[in-house]
Amino acid sequence: MFAEKSRPWNKIEICICNRSPRDITHFCEKEYIRVSAFLADESSCLQFKESPTISEPGRIPLMDNPDATPNEKSVTKHESLSIAERKMQLEFQNEAVPHLNALYNYALHITMNPDDAEDLVQETYLKAYRFFNSFERGTNCKAWLFKILKNNYINLFRKNSKEPGKVDYDLIKDFYHTIKDNRNDTTETDTDYFHSLLHEEVYQALHSLPEEFREVIQLCDIEGFTYEEIANMVDSPIGTVRSRLYRGRKLLRTQLEGYAQKRGFITDQDQ
Amino acid sequence: MSAAVDGELSSTEEQQFLSHLTKCKECTEEFDEAKKTKLIIKERVVRFKAPLSLVNSIMQLTSLSQRETV
Repeated sequence: MFAEKSRPWNKIEICICNRSPRDITHFCEKEYIRVSAFLADESSCLQFKESPTISEPGRIPLMDNPDATPNEKSVTKHESLSIAERKMQLEFQNEAVPHLNALYNYALHITMNPDDAEDLVQETYLKAYRFFNSFERGTNCKAWLFKILKNNYINLFRKNSKEPGKVDYDLIKDFYHTIKDNRNDTTETDTDYFHSLLHEEVYQALHSLPEEFREVIQLCDIEGFTYEEIANMVDSPIGTVRSRLYRGRKLLRTQLEGYAQKRGFITDQDQ
Repeated sequence: MSAAVDGELSSTEEQQFLSHLTKCKECTEEFDEAKKTKLIIKERVVRFKAPLSLVNSIMQLTSLSQRETV
């Protein structure tokens, strides 16, 4: 696979966690080739670091032509893996893996349980890897992964007669506090009531919505999918997606205003 | 309305919508509200990190298949 290796690899650490999926993809596009090369030789799990300065002198030549004949000198111990498989692996790493955080977040929202979410995402990636050749390159990989995840969820969890749509506020509150990421807290001096809303309240408000409303808002506002992609993921026509977004947002607004009023803020209507 | 908020209108539809807004105060208000709501969701709903155990196992996923074939 590699023509030469100039010196031993250092362990590379990147924290995927702090990046949005788009950042990860961009970042990884530059570094992934090297990272993937690293993977070929390390059997232990790889951890990624945020700073993109990977300090090896000189580039490690990676095969530009994956269909080249296997006469090239190879230092990899995995020679039994075919060229095509290796290529697929790299593609998978480039295209599918960066969406890990987004998938995990979505899984959390729909399972409300971090262990279930983790299992769900794992299962999803397993399936995705197995069927990666059926994925149409050039189309939205994130959308494809989300669809797999949704189907997995239905198969794995719905069948256990867990009642969908019921909201346990205490559960949400506890759950939120155990995993909350404090990074995003900024001091807001704006007195507009919208800006005064706590993360927690917004989260609760979102989860108080009926599932089908919550889902489309999530997919549209948080994950940024197009109407067409959403329609495909939820198996409904675009018109339905539109109206759910409309009604969902209206409901949400009412909820949020309720919170703000409770805390003594003037709503927009009084301005 | 939602389509306008999400940028899902065609350019002609968008023009029609915007010109309607100049005449209709109610719709303008509602449009602003909807945009605000969308922004709140986007910015205020916290994004959780995938736990390291998950990250590791996903990264091992592709390496693992390598080992299986050896």
